[in-house]
Amino acid sequence: MRETTFATSAQPIAAEQGGLEPRGAGAAARRGLTFETRQLSRVVGGKRLVDDVSVAVPPGEVLAVVGPSGAGKSSFLRLLNRLDEPTSGSVLVDGADYRAIAPRDLRRRVGMVMQTAYLFPGSVADNIAFGPRQRGEELSPEEIGALLARVGLPAYAARDVTGLSGGEAQRVSIARTLANAPEALLADEPTSALDEASARGIEELILGIIRERAMTCVIVTHNKAQAERMAARAMLMESGRLIAVGPIREVLNAG
Amino acid sequence: MPADLLNAVSADVMLGLAQAAGAIVLCAAVVVLCGWFSVHVEREAAVSIARGLVQMVTVGMVLAALLKGVLLIGALILLAMMLAAAFTAARRLQGMAGAVPLCFCAIAAGSGVVIAAMLATGTLKSDIAVLVPVGSMIIANAMNACAQAAERFRADVTGHVGEVETGLALGADPAAAVAPHVRSAVYASLLPRLDMLKSLGLVWIPGVMAGMMVSGASPVYAGIYQFVIVAMILAASGITGLIVVLLMRGRAFSPAAQLILRRAEAARS
Repeated sequence: MRETTFATSAQPIAAEQGGLEPRGAGAAARRGLTFETRQLSRVVGGKRLVDDVSVAVPPGEVLAVVGPSGAGKSSFLRLLNRLDEPTSGSVLVDGADYRAIAPRDLRRRVGMVMQTAYLFPGSVADNIAFGPRQRGEELSPEEIGALLARVGLPAYAARDVTGLSGGEAQRVSIARTLANAPEALLADEPTSALDEASARGIEELILGIIRERAMTCVIVTHNKAQAERMAARAMLMESGRLIAVGPIREVLNAG
Repeated sequence: MPADLLNAVSADVMLGLAQAAGAIVLCAAVVVLCGWFSVHVEREAAVSIARGLVQMVTVGMVLAALLKGVLLIGALILLAMMLAAAFTAARRLQGMAGAVPLCFCAIAAGSGVVIAAMLATGTLKSDIAVLVPVGSMIIANAMNACAQAAERFRADVTGHVGEVETGLALGADPAAAVAPHVRSAVYASLLPRLDMLKSLGLVWIPGVMAGMMVSGASPVYAGIYQFVIVAMILAASGITGLIVVLLMRGRAFSPAAQLILRRAEAARS
């Protein structure tokens, strides 16, 4: 690994738009949690998908994970909200090993936007309400409307998801993630399945949301220009290993 | 010696073998017909026909020997049938560790509960000659329900990994994340049995009713009893389908609520 400089993150912008605050016990108003991985590895069938990766992401930072196909970028991201189990090493969330956090609580705090929207059958409103409903909370129509307005889809609540375009579906999936009021956002190639115009719109939407909410964000992208537009810092992976981490331009030039 | 052997084979058995030969000829003709349309099931059909005939002759001989046995012997025969059914159903779950005990638990629970209830209410006599054939019908249908539910659940979950993991990523517990797939798998396993109940008497008159009428029972009573049997088959299938899917659901996730029932992930970047 060439460097482990922790660059200054993008300055958070105060939240001022619609959305949700975390509700219930333990739902702290503080935004932007800290990730730290220590010698994190995941081995499947003898293949080291993630190999001894140690990196820290301070609160409110946007970190881009770049590298060629098969580098372990998505596998690394999935370890951060424990969709997969590390074979060795650990992930610290706000300084504590995340194995001490109930997976449901961890995933509520660490939202994820995937490459494909994977909307559930039903209406847009049903999708937005899914996360809070898992905790026994029902969103009001106004709360759903505010979330949809934030992603640029006002008056979409009653629509059936089958009629949405790829870009609209990804916006709904972002609103659905925001409905859990997460403190961090993991984005796995969120625009790679979209056309250029939709991709730029989603990119700007994600960037606006993480800034206004001061959320920590780790974004996997193969698009260097996108990484440069969105992140102040990047980590370069190859064959599961961390090759370089540091200021975005230095890392992209190194790749 | 040959004369003794010939004497031992009664006339009705010879008749049965002749009828079986006729049935095999018809099946062979269908296999040849399939071959003309490039559907090649020759080997599988030959093995199935040979196995079916040998198994049924063997069962007949065992039943003849045990006809006057006690309930315990009948229970042991049914238990052996459940075990064989579990091995058969587990073939649909190739590659899944512990599939046989999983299927056995589901089939034994579904068919066992129903057979026990029928014995307790007097719907089913404990005579081996009645208990084993009726019990086998229930076990066979439980086996089919088990295989259908398990196969459907696995196919649905592995085919919708993205949706399931999206649910998990949004804070759903595993049961909620796969709830639609549990419902569809149990429903899929029940559908043939529901259709069977709907078509009872209209499309087919099952063997139990036909046998009772041949042996002199009232046709109305025979019809009602047949309904009871098919309803019990539905109940056994429902219990079996539900249990196998719930057991599979438990194995589909790690203790940390990670989906582990999926295809190889080595290709993921």
